[in-house]
Amino acid sequence: MAVVVGLSALGAGLSGCDDPSGESGFAGLAESGGQAEASAFLQPKPGTRLVFPDDWGPHPQHRIEWWYFTANLTTPEGRPLGVQWTQFRQALQPRPAAKAPPSPATWPMDSAWMAHGAISFNGDHWFEEKVARGDIGHAGASADPFRVWLDDWELAPISESDAWHLQVQGDNWDYDLTLSNTGNITAHGDGGFSAKSSSGEGSMYFSLAHLNVTGTVTVAGRTQAVSGKGWFDREWSSQFLKAGQQGWDWFGLHLEDGQKLMAFRLREGDSTFSSGSWVNADGDVESLQEDDLTLSPTAWKESARGRVPVVWQLRVSGRGVDLRVKASPGEHWNAGLVSYWESPVAVSGSHDGKGYMELTGYADQAP
Amino acid sequence: MLIRAFLSHYQRHPFQLAALMLMIVLATMLWTGVTVLTDQARSSLAQSEETVAARAHIVRTDGQPVGVEDFVRLRKTGVCVAPWLEVKRPAPEGQVIGVDPMSMACFGRSAPIQDAASLDGMPFMDIGDALRVSQEGYDSQLYLIAPRDDIELPQGYALRAFSLAPPTGELADSFLLNLDALSLLVLLITGLLIRSVYRLGLVQREASFELLYRFGVLPRRIRQLLVLELVVLTAVGVPPGLWLGASLAEALGTGFGQALGSLFDLTLYAESFGSLPWRAAVVMVALVLTVCLLEWVFPQPRQPAMVSAYARLGGGALLLAGALGVVLATELVWVFAGTALVFAGVGLLTPPLLAAVEERRSVRSGATASVADPLRRWRARELSVMFRQLALPVVALQFSIAAVLAVHALVTTFESTFEQWLGQRLAADFYIEVPQGGDSATAARRLNALEGLGTWHLVAHGKAQVRPEEAGTGADPLTADLMALTPITDLVSDWALLSSAERPWRELASGAVMVNEQLARRHDVEVGSPLELTIAGTRMRTNVVGIYADYGRPVAEVLLHADTLPAAFTPRSESFSVNKGELSRDVIHDRLADTWGAPDLQVRDNASIRELASQIFDQTFLLTRAISALTLVLAAVALLIMIWVFFTTRVWYFRLLGVWGLQGHQVRRQLRLLSVRLTLTITAAALPLGIWLTWVLVNRINPLAFGWSLPMDLYPVFWLELGLMAGAAGLLVAHLMRRQLERDANGERP
Repeated sequence: MAVVVGLSALGAGLSGCDDPSGESGFAGLAESGGQAEASAFLQPKPGTRLVFPDDWGPHPQHRIEWWYFTANLTTPEGRPLGVQWTQFRQALQPRPAAKAPPSPATWPMDSAWMAHGAISFNGDHWFEEKVARGDIGHAGASADPFRVWLDDWELAPISESDAWHLQVQGDNWDYDLTLSNTGNITAHGDGGFSAKSSSGEGSMYFSLAHLNVTGTVTVAGRTQAVSGKGWFDREWSSQFLKAGQQGWDWFGLHLEDGQKLMAFRLREGDSTFSSGSWVNADGDVESLQEDDLTLSPTAWKESARGRVPVVWQLRVSGRGVDLRVKASPGEHWNAGLVSYWESPVAVSGSHDGKGYMELTGYADQAP
Repeated sequence: MLIRAFLSHYQRHPFQLAALMLMIVLATMLWTGVTVLTDQARSSLAQSEETVAARAHIVRTDGQPVGVEDFVRLRKTGVCVAPWLEVKRPAPEGQVIGVDPMSMACFGRSAPIQDAASLDGMPFMDIGDALRVSQEGYDSQLYLIAPRDDIELPQGYALRAFSLAPPTGELADSFLLNLDALSLLVLLITGLLIRSVYRLGLVQREASFELLYRFGVLPRRIRQLLVLELVVLTAVGVPPGLWLGASLAEALGTGFGQALGSLFDLTLYAESFGSLPWRAAVVMVALVLTVCLLEWVFPQPRQPAMVSAYARLGGGALLLAGALGVVLATELVWVFAGTALVFAGVGLLTPPLLAAVEERRSVRSGATASVADPLRRWRARELSVMFRQLALPVVALQFSIAAVLAVHALVTTFESTFEQWLGQRLAADFYIEVPQGGDSATAARRLNALEGLGTWHLVAHGKAQVRPEEAGTGADPLTADLMALTPITDLVSDWALLSSAERPWRELASGAVMVNEQLARRHDVEVGSPLELTIAGTRMRTNVVGIYADYGRPVAEVLLHADTLPAAFTPRSESFSVNKGELSRDVIHDRLADTWGAPDLQVRDNASIRELASQIFDQTFLLTRAISALTLVLAAVALLIMIWVFFTTRVWYFRLLGVWGLQGHQVRRQLRLLSVRLTLTITAAALPLGIWLTWVLVNRINPLAFGWSLPMDLYPVFWLELGLMAGAAGLLVAHLMRRQLERDANGERP
């Protein structure tokens, strides 16, 4: 699960270009209700199933999708360090599966890509954003072999191994990580269809929640070896949020006993829509419905870009799970086309652990 | 009860209240509009500059043209590069440039295109659309541009210089500095206009204040009420003025490519229209309260200071001191101070001088039998009284007309200078850079052998150490850019030189040099000055035979003939400027490409460059014209209101004309003559001040700030337009007065 808001900004920017759908990107999509069905974009529905290896790659018949990775790492001195990488695709027009992509020589503008990279360390946050037009070749993704890239940022398989290599370079910071999967694919919701409202909007969503991560991170002029746990999300849709939903609070948590919790809530006025997945240490997944989950902010921070909830209570009924989730010190705004909060978190309460938290819709204004 | 009594004046004279409100609204509107437009001009100019700024482009070292696959390869190795597709579509549609704003994100603030809304085909459009235009049968050329010329490239690629036009940095800075100075003047004018109307009302309310005092109301209480009244008036008048000014500026500014919701600068123009007017509001509230409440800080004598006996002496002294300060100042701050003194002096001198002139006319009319005309004498006396009693508004109007004159001259001068300068710098049909390792001498010989080729010259660029001989041998030499030409043709011999010897180009060919204005001004170099040059370690003595304008760059530059260069000189870069004559561009390209073994040789079309640069900067000129138009319109409205207010206070006297036995149409004629003479006199009085202000801007402020001056041009046709406008305002006032006289038969004596 990843950043909705980034795509909405990308979509808003692209709306100045040829968008035959006539909608203003992702935000417009959310507000326009059933437009996706009326357009030629495909919309996931309950019952839609995951297909591998195809679903690792792009879905040109869908309007939006992203590849998302976070890691809670530790330096040799034992200090926590968080990294994030997300790459988005926003289609301006759908492309049927049978249709060949346009020739790069025509400088097509059927889709656009955006990538975010960030590091959180010692209370500081480094962030960089890249954008690219699609179908040219300098940004894209492939399913088999699985690769995602934008300029010189790349997630690619390491030859003769099951591991991946993630390279991201920012302005005076970079990371070079190896990601090894030790678990199963976690399909969220109904076999991969993750509802985002009670009225049926949703997306296809799966994760790799058991990633071992090693590598190096250069930040503040120092290169350090790091290791820790990672979380990878894949998600795509054509109609994600319903009209009026203002923002989103998402958590991906690694608990000490090896269990994992993904939980999110979508805010709409005074009401919310919550959902999540509980992943046992052996990889079994239980989908959490609205009645099973309670996500409540318990402390807020007055930050440079707005008031943001930095301490949360997460409860899963029937499991005796009552967690206190607290953001790392500092401000963790990804200040791109639109600002959103992306921070490592520490978990205490019924379980100890760590993870990542993503909050959208709290920034006062676009940067 | 007290408040009703206090405000009873406005019940009897609602027009005065309306005039004061209107003046606050208009002044706020003027200031807001000018502030927003100036800020927009600043943004627009900065963006224009960024668009044409020198950058680099990337070529393949194997000589093949670059394509989309090169773009992808470079991006994937982390190089910040963006495609730039020039499509040479002929007029009237003109050339278009296809860009990809997304790949320009890594250019940051130096991106040639800052917002997607600029992709309107004037001349920029999305590269995919531009490609489709080129497929209609137009020549096109793809460049891969980079933000800087010092980036690391993967093997197989090299950087080349890339720019759309000569750099314009200093010309633009100069323009903005002058705009700032004029904005301050606009603020002064608005302050004077408000104060004049406010004082006019106060003078008329003195009797009612006196009455209140006799009824036991303390002067302190009256002052408190006046302050409260002013705060309320400001609170009511400023917001609509703010809104009107911002709306007007926005309406005038819509043609300049700004739009919300752009891709990379989502809030750029939103800030312009969102935050700026509030700053303007704070300034305006402070201004209104200051100029009106100044009364309580410095109590005014009943006779306004401006027409007191000391006014002429004080005004004359200030004028003289200010003028001397402006002429002799060696620092910018003293020029501004001197200008302020001159304005103060003119403000003090104008009303008594105009009053004295009219007084003299009146006396002469009475004394000379042949011109004895009691009505003429009456008009002269009436005008004399007005100039004395209404000194402040007269000066405010004089200043505003002077500002309009200066804005117009500045904008027109800037525009024509820019056009001329571009034409001078881009005189040839084509510009061809000699590729690295290319032999320019062989190329020159082969060009000479091309029959039917037009004029051409080769320019070698480098550095030279320059020491004016007058500076003495102990003085440190300065490093100047060096431009060596050969041969001298009409491509340069038609340059408009600022000053020159009799046959400067012939002398240049014989070993003399020319220098740019920056070098000449900063080091007191004149035509005929001896100069010591050190080029590639070789010292030589020469003399200056010409000084040329070079607005774009801050650095000193020396121009000489290539034959003057020492043998050890190695040029930093070389380029040919070529007029094609009877040949086609392809023939010239092929001959040079063949000479240098460079099939990817790029031939830059100067006409397109010039057209493009003009097109881009036209947006800025359009903005400045909007500022000028706004100031002009508001000055006219202010003029109208003020004179109407003046005349309203004089209704009682005008009615006396009827008592003396004049028919209605004769009274109307007298009113017309009086009001038109008043407006024309103020306009005439503003003329020298406007011309002087223009001179200060282009000849004093600019040289001190940047080391060069803009040419000082006068625009008498515009003066005539202003005169006609003033005359029309006078006629309109006379018409309004006639209606007032007819409607209000019982007009009371003020």
